[in-house]
Amino acid sequence: MKRKPKCIYRAGVLLMAGALVTMLTSCGGPGSGADHQQFYDVDMIVKMDRGDYWKTTKLGAEVAAKEFNVRLNFVAPENENDVEGQIRLMEEAIERRPDAIILAASDYEALGQVTDRTSYYDIPVISMDSEVASTKVKTFVGANNYEAGQKAAERLVELTGPVSEIGIINFAKGARNANQREEGFLDYVARFPDVHVVDIQYCGSDEYLAYKLTADMLKRFPDLDGIVSLSAESSIGAGRAVNELGYGGKVKMIAFDNPPEMLELLQEEKVQAMVVQNPFNNGYMAVVAAVQSARGEKLEDRIPTDTKLIDLNNMLWPENQKLLFPFVK
Amino acid sequence: MKLWRWFKRLFQGFHVRNIQVLISLSSITVTVLAVVLVTTLLYNRFSKAAEENAYLSLEQIIEQVHSNLELYVSGMQDIFDLVELKISVAPNLPTNDQLGEQLQTVLSTREDLVSMALFTEDGKLVRNVPRLPMRQNTRLQEQLWFESAVQNPGKLQFTPPHIQNLFKWQYRWVVSMSKTVNYRDQGELKQGVLVIDINFRTIDELSGRISLGKKGYVYIIDAVGNIVYHPQQQLIYAGLKYENLEPVLNYSYGRFADELEGEPRIITIQTVKPAGWKIVGVAYADEFLTTKREVGDFLSWFLPLAIAIILFVSIYVSARISQPIRKLERSVQMVERGDFGTNVYVSGAYEVEQLSKRFNLMLRRIRELMDQIIQEQEAKRKSELDVLQSQINPHFLYNTLNSVTRLAELGRNEEVVTTITSLSRFFRISLSKGKHIISVQDELEHVRHYLIIQTIRFKNKFRYEIRADEAALKCSTLKLILQPLVENAIHHGIEKSAEEGFIDIEARLEGDNLIFRILDNGIGMTSDTVEKLLSGNIRSERGSGVGVRNVQERITLYYGPGYGLHFESEPEEGTTVTITIPAVQPDSLEQGGMQP
Repeated sequence: MKRKPKCIYRAGVLLMAGALVTMLTSCGGPGSGADHQQFYDVDMIVKMDRGDYWKTTKLGAEVAAKEFNVRLNFVAPENENDVEGQIRLMEEAIERRPDAIILAASDYEALGQVTDRTSYYDIPVISMDSEVASTKVKTFVGANNYEAGQKAAERLVELTGPVSEIGIINFAKGARNANQREEGFLDYVARFPDVHVVDIQYCGSDEYLAYKLTADMLKRFPDLDGIVSLSAESSIGAGRAVNELGYGGKVKMIAFDNPPEMLELLQEEKVQAMVVQNPFNNGYMAVVAAVQSARGEKLEDRIPTDTKLIDLNNMLWPENQKLLFPFVK
Repeated sequence: MKLWRWFKRLFQGFHVRNIQVLISLSSITVTVLAVVLVTTLLYNRFSKAAEENAYLSLEQIIEQVHSNLELYVSGMQDIFDLVELKISVAPNLPTNDQLGEQLQTVLSTREDLVSMALFTEDGKLVRNVPRLPMRQNTRLQEQLWFESAVQNPGKLQFTPPHIQNLFKWQYRWVVSMSKTVNYRDQGELKQGVLVIDINFRTIDELSGRISLGKKGYVYIIDAVGNIVYHPQQQLIYAGLKYENLEPVLNYSYGRFADELEGEPRIITIQTVKPAGWKIVGVAYADEFLTTKREVGDFLSWFLPLAIAIILFVSIYVSARISQPIRKLERSVQMVERGDFGTNVYVSGAYEVEQLSKRFNLMLRRIRELMDQIIQEQEAKRKSELDVLQSQINPHFLYNTLNSVTRLAELGRNEEVVTTITSLSRFFRISLSKGKHIISVQDELEHVRHYLIIQTIRFKNKFRYEIRADEAALKCSTLKLILQPLVENAIHHGIEKSAEEGFIDIEARLEGDNLIFRILDNGIGMTSDTVEKLLSGNIRSERGSGVGVRNVQERITLYYGPGYGLHFESEPEEGTTVTITIPAVQPDSLEQGGMQP
């Protein structure tokens, strides 16, 4: 009996507190309420901040960023070989504690350790374009390089015939992408007992070295029927060598990636085909995967983006034009 | 746990008909209804207006793009017409230097112009500006601009943007304008295909700049559905995105609602006439029609807030009202339990204050009435006692008269006279004109006459002595207090004694008290008998009818509980009764007599 009035005041206080809480939470509402209103901070670390390939990757990432409310922080070292620089960028990214990191590793082994470290801070890492030696990576977004290698081999054997000699100009020993392409290529060629891979040269990312190695290879193996170059730089060097030394059309050539120089050669039939990755899709899909992992969704181990074999016939098909020439200049 | 108990207690207090609950519930109901009604009305009005505004601004944006683009395209069309005119009038086209210069000038006026070229109908280059060598393997006749120009002779054709694949230069994104034209080659009239390539950059930038909300965008398709510009072109080619072009192709301008992957979209279409391109604005409804959501958000916090405030206010107000009423209720409950001393001072609403005031008045009145009742009751008892007092035991009268008769028969006239006189005096003092307070002198006189009568009756079986202070005589006393005791002494003491009896009566002042002492030498009493005497269990048949207990009661009633009788008695020795009453002077007696 005596307690009742006190209770009512308490009830009043409780309700007032409740009202305040509702007010505060609802005031905070518009900023953080609905899921699609939320921003995700995603750091994208690639190999190099130059070149059409990475610019296209960035373009794709930006389209996804706009679509999924992502604040994209695109960083890269000056040079593709700057492994130290990329590790440093990775460390800086971890300091910033973004919602997710996308990494296109310059070196499969060297970036493994720093990638492992992200798991301490619960930052999901998406590996893009090139894999990295870490089990902490949520998924890999990129071309199936082994398959790309096989595609190149298939076309080259078609061009050179079942009895032929083939030379390979590759990027570098230990580079994951190049290794997988080489593996795919060799595995395919192994089906043809009379197709011989006579030489494999590694040029690093040096176009001039590629040129010299190709010229040397052409000299040493005068019966060479085909050359495959498994990276953009080696393609430029090898393409130039084949063209300048007058082997254009005689020695069949399959190139990788789509530097503009190569397209000219392709049209002039100095190079027969080109295996082209889709960097735009890499960027786009990587950001999508980053958002999904930031939301805590489970991802597939690998998200493959397609590679295309481009030749004179299909190079100017409308759907390939945008792939080969991503920028309106 | 604690909270739960607290809640339980809270709701136990909530009776449905509680004032607080009534007020709170009714005010909340009214407020909620009002708020909901008002917000619904406002919501409908606002969202309608906002929707119209949104559509209007959407259309304006698209119209802006449309007019820019149309201006641009018709400008290019003018250039094409100009070039066509110049070509048609030039006498010898392939080697006309003047024409070459003119065309070069035209080309340099617009930096968007990439190249102009005239081809024969079988795809051979007649002339081009700037003069650049042709690429190999161009497959010129398969190219869209050439095909559509040949298929639609005399009509200007626009292609979707494509990579220019004609001259050895950069691979560039261009839009081609093409048409079959007539030209003169060494006086001979020939038909060829004129193509002017425009750099796509301007259109690309123009379209890319437009944003319709965060997610919305603008895209352009040509009349058959080829993509001219689409921000997600690559994703569409890769099959990651899908654009629903079918309904768009049925419209040349207008607006319709569409849905893609469950998201409602507003599609706005405009057509660029010269090129036959369709500008399609895609706005996401949830971004553009935000008012609905905003009002919804507003409601979602405003409503609970309003309810909370109203609840608080109504609880406060109702507490302010019901609290004093509760206090009042508690006071009434105390009164109900018998505590009439309670005074209620409740502050609060005017009505409640008035109620408490009235209640206090009522309480005071009740107290007064109760006092009155008590007084009346006491008065009644007093009067009853008075009646008792004045009752004269007929036995006494009978016995006395009997003795008088006997005396008269014996001829003892003197004694008869004495007896009758004493009896007369006795009754006179007994009655005392109805007063119950008399002087001590009268009281002693009264008892003296009684003793006279009794000595005559009992044939001088005892002696008596009455003594009194001079001061004591003037005091007042309750009447008929000595006589019953003396009667008692005679009947229970002396009568039963073999010896000659003696009764000594004394009145004296002792401080503020008046003391009567009645001493006899009768058989005395055991303390047991004294007890019974005072409780009134022994009653003399022959007495005057006024018992010892009655004396005691009257004294206590009149003078208070501190006064009364005191017995000292020893069997075979006698009894001494002491009466203590306050010494009261006659004038003050009248007033004091009324007080309990």
